[in-house]
Amino acid sequence: MTAAANEQLEKLIVQNVLEELAKKGLLNTQNKDHVMSAVAMHMAKEPAKDDGFVTLPPADEVLVASPANLEAIKAMKKTTPARIGIGRAGARPKTISWLRLLADHAVAQDAVFVDVSAEFIQRMNLLPVQSAAASKDEFLTRPDLGRRLSVEAVKTIEEKCIKNPQVQILVVDGLSSSAIEASVPDLLPALLQGLTSAGIKVGTPIFIKHGRVWAQDHVAQIVNAEVVISLIGERPGLGTAESLSAYMIYRPNEKTVEADRTVVSNIHKGGIPPAEAGAHLVDILKQILKAKASGVKLAQQA
Amino acid sequence: MSQPNTQSITSVGIDIGTTTTQLIISRLTIENTASGTSVPRMEITGKEVIHRSEIYFTPLLDHQLVNSVAVADLVKKEYAAAGLTAGEIDTGAVIITGETAKKENAKAILDALAGLAGDFVVATAGPNLESIYAGKGSGAAAYSAQRHKTIANVDVGGGTSNYAVFAEGRAIATACLNVGGHLIEFEPRGDRITYLAEPARKVLKACGFNWQVGDRVSLSELRTVVDVMAACVVEILKQGELSPLTRELLMTAPLNCGPALTKIMISGGVADYVYQAYKPQTMADVTMYGDYGPLLGLALREKAEAAGYILESPLETVRATVIGTGTQSVNLSGSTIHVREDTLPLRNVVVLSPFTEMPDSPGGIAQAIRREILRFEADDTGAYLALSLKGPRTMAFADIEVLAEGILEGMREYLGGGRPLILIIEDDCGKVLGQCLEAKARNSLEVLCIDQIAVGECDYIDIGKPLMGGRVVPVVLKTLVFNNALG
Repeated sequence: MTAAANEQLEKLIVQNVLEELAKKGLLNTQNKDHVMSAVAMHMAKEPAKDDGFVTLPPADEVLVASPANLEAIKAMKKTTPARIGIGRAGARPKTISWLRLLADHAVAQDAVFVDVSAEFIQRMNLLPVQSAAASKDEFLTRPDLGRRLSVEAVKTIEEKCIKNPQVQILVVDGLSSSAIEASVPDLLPALLQGLTSAGIKVGTPIFIKHGRVWAQDHVAQIVNAEVVISLIGERPGLGTAESLSAYMIYRPNEKTVEADRTVVSNIHKGGIPPAEAGAHLVDILKQILKAKASGVKLAQQA
Repeated sequence: MSQPNTQSITSVGIDIGTTTTQLIISRLTIENTASGTSVPRMEITGKEVIHRSEIYFTPLLDHQLVNSVAVADLVKKEYAAAGLTAGEIDTGAVIITGETAKKENAKAILDALAGLAGDFVVATAGPNLESIYAGKGSGAAAYSAQRHKTIANVDVGGGTSNYAVFAEGRAIATACLNVGGHLIEFEPRGDRITYLAEPARKVLKACGFNWQVGDRVSLSELRTVVDVMAACVVEILKQGELSPLTRELLMTAPLNCGPALTKIMISGGVADYVYQAYKPQTMADVTMYGDYGPLLGLALREKAEAAGYILESPLETVRATVIGTGTQSVNLSGSTIHVREDTLPLRNVVVLSPFTEMPDSPGGIAQAIRREILRFEADDTGAYLALSLKGPRTMAFADIEVLAEGILEGMREYLGGGRPLILIIEDDCGKVLGQCLEAKARNSLEVLCIDQIAVGECDYIDIGKPLMGGRVVPVVLKTLVFNNALG
């Protein structure tokens, strides 16, 4: 429905309600006319527009009506992306805060449902394969399928990938394709540069569509990698949809549990900058290779 | 792969001022404060003062010469009192402040102390840095962070008043005025002048007095002079048009921190008389320490309150600067530390800031670096150089690579001499920049990338031996005693 049609409908509803109230003697004619003229004026002032983009004011704006210490609110807002210092309208958030929440929620949903583009995978020079989940819906409803590779994927990897690498890099869409497209272009080259400089044998970088963390265990067995590192999009929150995590595991097998993985999270421009994260991950991968362990076992050796 | 998560170091702070000399020894605890899933971040988490010296009168040979041998003896005595030897001191700073910093022989003090005070004790001075240390020691910095209120700390010592304005724990403006409580000396508990420092003569001239050494003065006359001094101190806080006298006494640029100040804190030796209800009745009351400090305290309280400022109480008064120096002068930093065992410590590393805006090509970056090296003629001296910069043009890997190439090209001659490449970066990219530099360098390269430190106005840094399993180095920021136009 267009905005104009919406307003027409609204006017009709108001008119009907007012006439009903007047009929029941709950509203005198003078008041009814007054309200109707107000509705008409409102419509005249705001002619129907086409649906366009709405620009929200910056999120660092303090919306508290008359703060006792504005500096304190500003300082606190700097420490967190949480929605604080947004004031209120009665018991509810202000319209602008509510719109922002809806907008951020929409960004989060897009991050989950949009696919990483084929152009991006090619530009990053990744070998594309898919998990056992055939569609986005299946990926979301059947976590077990995202944890292993499809039959074709196993075949592709067996045929095309370098075997017995020290480090196998995986890029996995996970729950945020936006995170992959935002952070991998700066992280991956830094990671590759550091590993190459250190003389570490790196496998063929792979992209797994509809993949989850455990898919790395499956890949490790096929290519016989010492360490696998998965760069995976984190489940988006309302703060950012671009956060990436790196999960690393040393020689996974059927006894592998979550505690065996080393993780670095919160990689995005507002957290650990992606390029810096790449160099940091090189350090951790070196430690894992040296200790021949990851996760809690690595931490206990330290 | 031993990576300790905490370590403690012993730090000494020595403040040699116009009137007093003090020393504190503190124990600093260093911890990795980042969670296990983040990049490690080493911070000083504990600062415990384990020894406070007596407050000594600064030993002087005459009004121009500090007795450096006596200062060294005093430091030895305090180490013994604290049960420590020089070898047990890891780091620290000597700060030569106020009138003393001007005197020609300050270098002698530093030389006398350098060997004595541990492996890594260095001289720090300069009125702006001193102001910041005083404000951190007085508690003004912490006050501004805890209450989210901007506050100005004024450290009124014997020779100078040091201003530092803090907001959210950070110094946002500093200034220094040549007014203190010891610019005119008297016979203790007497009224006869025994010494007149140059700034006091300026004030006397403005008051129309022609006092000379040997003259006797009355309390009401002295009150007139001290009121003028106090008015100058308060005038700076107002950030308005300055009187000719105040302008003459100002040793730095005027205080400029934006909006009008409402809260102030006064520290320094004079502060005790600002916050006490002590009202001297006779000249003997005023001159118990051989100066007019108590009267200046009283006058400051009156002038500050009359101007509508809210006076907050400091945690430390006379010891503020030494506490600040001892506990705050050491910074920790490091994201890439690839240097040989014997390269550190490095002293008097010259800090160069070649970029106002980051050029977008390696050639442009190299040119800016060469120009800056030439401007300072820094390369001729064989000095160690550090490049201070905000970061790459953007945080994209491509821009970081461009920066690395530009730096290597601009520093080629310098690096050819076998010196390490030292970078001080504001942005969070120390590891990846270090990695790019090493990957692109043709020969093996010693690299030290220091981040999370704002060098601001400092001219020199000292870098200590690595701590926490080689993951971090102590860094002390310095300004030169002698190159400021301090008369």
